[in-house]
Amino acid sequence: MADEPVSNPPAAPGAGAPGGHAPSGYHPRPAGGPGGPRPQGPRPGGPRRGKRNFVRKKKVCRFCVDKSDFIDYKRAEILAPFLQERGKILPRRMTGTCARHQRWLAVAIKRAQNIALLPFSAEL
Amino acid sequence: MEERQYDLIFICRPDTPEPEIDKIIATVEHAATEKGGKIQSTEKWGRRRMAYVVKRLREGYYVYMVVRSDHSEVIKELERRLKVSDAVIKYLTVRLDEELKRQDKLKKHRERRAARRPRRAAPGTPTGGEQTAATA
Repeated sequence: MADEPVSNPPAAPGAGAPGGHAPSGYHPRPAGGPGGPRPQGPRPGGPRRGKRNFVRKKKVCRFCVDKSDFIDYKRAEILAPFLQERGKILPRRMTGTCARHQRWLAVAIKRAQNIALLPFSAEL
Repeated sequence: MEERQYDLIFICRPDTPEPEIDKIIATVEHAATEKGGKIQSTEKWGRRRMAYVVKRLREGYYVYMVVRSDHSEVIKELERRLKVSDAVIKYLTVRLDEELKRQDKLKKHRERRAARRPRRAAPGTPTGGEQTAATA
């Protein structure tokens, strides 16, 4: 097809443009890491003067930190922080749980709900 | 067939006298052994608040057992008995052997990997420790 050589080049700049913000933000930060010292406020002479300066804290999967290979549905107290007020399971993007552990966590929560250790939904 | 492991939790009415609960546990044990199963352990969690209302009750007496068996007939029989028992308001059986197997496998894998490379990425490890310390 004649399109093939043309379709490839647009893909590369397209991927590069949104990524262009992130590297510029990361360069002046060598090894601070989450919890480490972080420059506060707008950086002088920064490339994004007018924009809001979002500093997102990197979320780490709690179960990976604990190196857990099994999430016990019987321990409601470790599952409870992953529920919303109304009893919904918090999404991964909120808690930072990795995909594998979120899968196990969801199963564990559902089991706990079945034996009334956790609520299906908050009452009243 | 390979032996399976199940968790069995049942909730009794909170006003059930202790001897009666012991009796239910005994009948469960008896039924399990009769069908060729085995009770590995029994734990009485006691009265605790339930997360939602069950049969108009807010509290229940939790009993936790680990059952081993090589076929599902045992579970069928146990569930039937718990269902007909008046004191039992809720029960749950969960087959766990496959998850435990997976857990073992992952653990072994982790240990093997740790043994092969005791110190990998020296600059990476301090930051990892720092991270956990900061979040803790």
